[in-house]
Amino acid sequence: MKIRTHEYMDIAREQLKEPNARAVLDFFPVILSAMRDAVYQSFEDPQAAIQACRDIRANAVARLPKLLEQFEEQAVKAGAKVVWAADSAQANAYIVDLAQKLGARHAAKGKSMVTEETGLNQALEDVGIAAYETDLGEFIAQLLKRPPFHIVGPALNVPTAEIRDVFLEKGVMDAPTEDPVELGRAARKYLRDRFHFLDIGVTGVNMAVAETGTIINVENEGNIRMCKSSPKVQVSIMTLEKVLPNMEEAMMVLRNLPRSATGQLISAYVSMDTGPKKAEEADGPEELHIIILDNGRSKVYADPTYRQALQCIRCGACLNFCPIYRKVGGYSYGWAYSGPMGQVLSPMLLGLDKTKDLYHSCTLCKHCQSVCPGGVEHPKILLTHRARNREKEPQFHGAGAPASLEARYRAFALAASRPKVWNVMIRGARTALNQKKQGGMVKELFGKPEGWFASRDLPPMGRPTFNQWIKEYKKHKK
Amino acid sequence: MTPISLHIPCLMNMFMPKTGKSVVRLLERLDVPFVYHEDQTCCGLPASNAGFLPEARKVAKHFMEVFGDDPVVVSPSGSCVEMITQRYPALFEDEPEWKARAQDMASKTYEFTQYLVDILGIEDAGGKFSGKVAYHESCSLLRGLGVSEQPKKLIASVKGAELVPMQNADVCCGFGGEFSHKYSEISETMVQEKVTNFINSGADVLVMGEPGCFLNISGYVSRNHPGRKVMHIADLLAGPIDS
Repeated sequence: MKIRTHEYMDIAREQLKEPNARAVLDFFPVILSAMRDAVYQSFEDPQAAIQACRDIRANAVARLPKLLEQFEEQAVKAGAKVVWAADSAQANAYIVDLAQKLGARHAAKGKSMVTEETGLNQALEDVGIAAYETDLGEFIAQLLKRPPFHIVGPALNVPTAEIRDVFLEKGVMDAPTEDPVELGRAARKYLRDRFHFLDIGVTGVNMAVAETGTIINVENEGNIRMCKSSPKVQVSIMTLEKVLPNMEEAMMVLRNLPRSATGQLISAYVSMDTGPKKAEEADGPEELHIIILDNGRSKVYADPTYRQALQCIRCGACLNFCPIYRKVGGYSYGWAYSGPMGQVLSPMLLGLDKTKDLYHSCTLCKHCQSVCPGGVEHPKILLTHRARNREKEPQFHGAGAPASLEARYRAFALAASRPKVWNVMIRGARTALNQKKQGGMVKELFGKPEGWFASRDLPPMGRPTFNQWIKEYKKHKK
Repeated sequence: MTPISLHIPCLMNMFMPKTGKSVVRLLERLDVPFVYHEDQTCCGLPASNAGFLPEARKVAKHFMEVFGDDPVVVSPSGSCVEMITQRYPALFEDEPEWKARAQDMASKTYEFTQYLVDILGIEDAGGKFSGKVAYHESCSLLRGLGVSEQPKKLIASVKGAELVPMQNADVCCGFGGEFSHKYSEISETMVQEKVTNFINSGADVLVMGEPGCFLNISGYVSRNHPGRKVMHIADLLAGPIDS
């Protein structure tokens, strides 16, 4: 997909004025976060369950190279072909090549964020192979040529009237309706037809189990399952951090994933595949290809501060609790991953120079961190992004801070470490600021109400300041 | 009683001197001895937030030089205390001597209501207010320091005050320092939502323990809902101050 991370504020500004985005954002994330809180109560000790998941993820990421080796060994033993891809281009080329060798005219895709990251649909379409998204939300977003709005509900912002129109236009259905059930049925029927005679199905991976070589998918619509059981050839593409040591630990993560993602105890479908179809089995693919994608993650793994970002399990809870995501929605983040997890991950993968707004547009409220079952400390990583960008860190392409900001913080540090200078500076600032007082409050500074002053007043500065006052007060008291 | 060393956040020193006076008045009323160092400036949080770490270190060192010998430091600001207790030690990974000082500083610094309730065991700080009070859970207090019950206990002890629930009390008000200016359109929608929830709560006043939130919310209220009341918790507990 097209990377638009540098357009963050432009898109955010549009979205802030978009009535449908407003209505959806006031509703869905709030409901989802409330449902998450409620369903966690089914654990005797919810906080302990979250902590268990965090520990499992932290330990798995710490042992990542070993676990991946073990996973490869076991998956191959079960009959899968395991391929390593250094970047998107390699992963896409492998799939395109495979599809062409099969003579496939179309490929069906189960919901996956990683193919959004690699831009697989475009790569397939470039060689004349139609890629069908089979998750309802992804399908709608694809027809509308839009990026995902939410990692769990990619089209939850699209009004039914718009879905009706695009379904009619693209021949998904014949008669107009806005009934959500009917719309879902039309898409289902349309996609079922695509599953027939399917040569190749592509899915993501929620978890990979090292001990058994199993890949696990979690979903509510059953389409990922269809993508895995209908075609002759199945390709499952996973980023390298998805691996867990054993089934027991995978089940503990699974107990957290739907709870955190959609407020469900368990999703409607969980499929586990160990190798392709065996001789005695009724269905399943004849070939199973598992692509393990790096795309910048080994660099993240090698970095002690950044490594914990790989603990993310893609539940999207951080989005639902993020007060900023709740205002600007998913498009503003400009790439596959939105909300706090996107703010953490995208700068690592795309470079600090291209993603400035992602790590600055945050109040560090820690709401994301407090609900993250992966144990990611988003605010800490965002602060590291800011510091590394300022230092022009080369590994992750830090670009440096603007000269005006450099000057401001140098002056700040100089004054704040010398009390006399500090107090002189405050008195100077007070004179300048208080001149602008209108009716007891300061309403603008530079001729027009911008930034802070567009919606807020500032009190004038105290005369005396507290510091001046207490000096006199102490004298008086003696 | 061990005298506490009072830290008055720079925002409070400049923009909210009356609240600083409320803190002093409260400490005197509760017979808590305190010292105040006039050469205190800022904790360095703005530089840390902006990613200017060498500058943050410079300011943090000044802070530790000013407060270093004191047994206890107390500040009526969640974000300053979060900076001191959680970010200071990490700032000095490469300077062992300063790291030790930072760890010492972190272990003896408290948010104001946290100190009153958890350390001094005060659950009634006095004060009078007639009306309903809503409490805004500042992120730095709630999630940064785990301070939530302490201020609510103190509010409940104010004579005539009734603590009422407010929807999304734990959701950020949209301040975030530079965020509120640089991303002002987003910040505006956040503070607007906070104020709407305050109005819908039916409370007469919105109270909080963080100067940043206070400037943000009261600045919005002053512009858009003049007549509504927003207070720092120290002002509520101390009662009205004449000057």
